[in-house]
Amino acid sequence: MLLKLGSMLAVVAAWFGLSLLLPDTVLPGPWETLKVLTENVVDGQVHEHLLATLGRVLGGLALAMAVGVPVGIVMGLNRFAEKTLDVWVMVALTVPSLCYAILAFIWIGLNETAAIVAIGLTSAPSIAINLWEGVKNIDTRLFKMARVFNASRWVVVRRVLFPQVLPYIMASLRFGLGIVWKITVLVELLGRPDGVGFQLFYWYQLADMGQVLAWTLLFTLVMLFIELVILQRLERRLFAWRPEVRL
Amino acid sequence: MSREATDNGIRVEGLIKEFPGQRVLDGLDLTVADGEFVCLLGPSGCGKSTLLNILSGLDGDYRGSVRFGGQPMAPGGKPPVTIGYLFQEPRLLPWLTAERNVDFALENSRVPRARWAAIKDRYFALTGLQAFRHYYPHQLSGGMAQRLSLVRALAIEPDVLFMDEPFSGLDELTARRLRVDLLDIWRETGKTILFITHNSYEATFLGDRVVVLSRGGIRDQITVQVPRPRDYDDAALFQVGKTVSATFIEAAEAAERDRH
Repeated sequence: MLLKLGSMLAVVAAWFGLSLLLPDTVLPGPWETLKVLTENVVDGQVHEHLLATLGRVLGGLALAMAVGVPVGIVMGLNRFAEKTLDVWVMVALTVPSLCYAILAFIWIGLNETAAIVAIGLTSAPSIAINLWEGVKNIDTRLFKMARVFNASRWVVVRRVLFPQVLPYIMASLRFGLGIVWKITVLVELLGRPDGVGFQLFYWYQLADMGQVLAWTLLFTLVMLFIELVILQRLERRLFAWRPEVRL
Repeated sequence: MSREATDNGIRVEGLIKEFPGQRVLDGLDLTVADGEFVCLLGPSGCGKSTLLNILSGLDGDYRGSVRFGGQPMAPGGKPPVTIGYLFQEPRLLPWLTAERNVDFALENSRVPRARWAAIKDRYFALTGLQAFRHYYPHQLSGGMAQRLSLVRALAIEPDVLFMDEPFSGLDELTARRLRVDLLDIWRETGKTILFITHNSYEATFLGDRVVVLSRGGIRDQITVQVPRPRDYDDAALFQVGKTVSATFIEAAEAAERDRH
């Protein structure tokens, strides 16, 4: 914890040092950036854009999980599914996220649905691969044990398969969040009239570095909060039974 | 379902099991009397585990007949009696405590919920695990984990116990203790036990009868007439063990020759 804090302070210090050497139009210092950010918050424009972005992040993540998790599980458990699907997952992973965004906006229209579809489909292959690799590690001998003890198929899925898959689902949730929020910003820049991505692009066009950094900082802080405070806690509670304690 | 018919013997006749290009069981006949402790001994690949898979209803693809206490088991169906199973590894659910692991088996059994507490008390006491009921499997030693899986197998009040090399993964000292405990529990409960092993002396120490398998059938059977309770250092037991061991090695060598 102290180490984390120390490294964070060091980075802020380096940022400060560098900003003294460079002009404000290239790199404003941490203090200026924080001031712009506070002004934005006081103006009341922050939460409108932030909420729009978070909504898309959540929607996109939900879609990505809904597609990626079942595909990954089936591929990990079933050889036939693995053989038929692995090429397509690789193809889907290779297509640049910009292509998904363009296609979604052209086919579905410049609306929220298109944004969420683009975000979800871009991240789904990574989540599927993550889960596919994970599910290969689960202990299938426990299935035989459960069957010998007369467990029904449903009981096996719910009480033997699911608890083993859950750690991988949680891992891909965190990992997926990291991908999703980067894509969300890109999608907003391309085809939405609000959100953090839209703001970044707007201030970029006006060449206002203070604003660009302020929005970047805001978004990073919010995502760190979700990752460190919400997801890590949830994980710790869910996997209390595990011998190895995570960092 | 009533359980007045107390005959829990097993009768296997003409059992044939084929895998592509290989006949694993070739007309096997085997009888285990009600309450008898039979050890199956055989080289690897002789069909021991295949036999247990068939008898426990996991593998329905075979020919021949299987009966439990006179009731036939339909191929592809479940055994008509309750079966308790011990694997080579404990196969516990790592996210459940010791007690919850036993509950998992009970929930899928016919044992009425009202009796669970008494049953668990009894078998946790019998295996010396009372103090560890709230431990997770990773907090237990190998021997304790295997004891717990014995509690799980006994808790569902099985008519028959199948044991697939349950002590082969343990150190010899722990295995010895567990064998003695198993015999105590067997004396107290009178279960019919089919015990698979590749350890001749273990088979001799435990069994009423040792059946040596080879090439998909019975090669020899040795009745162990040493009275119980038995002692590891009993010279008579050691003599029988030597005979069993010689038969086992012969069977293994014959199987080896077959392969070449």
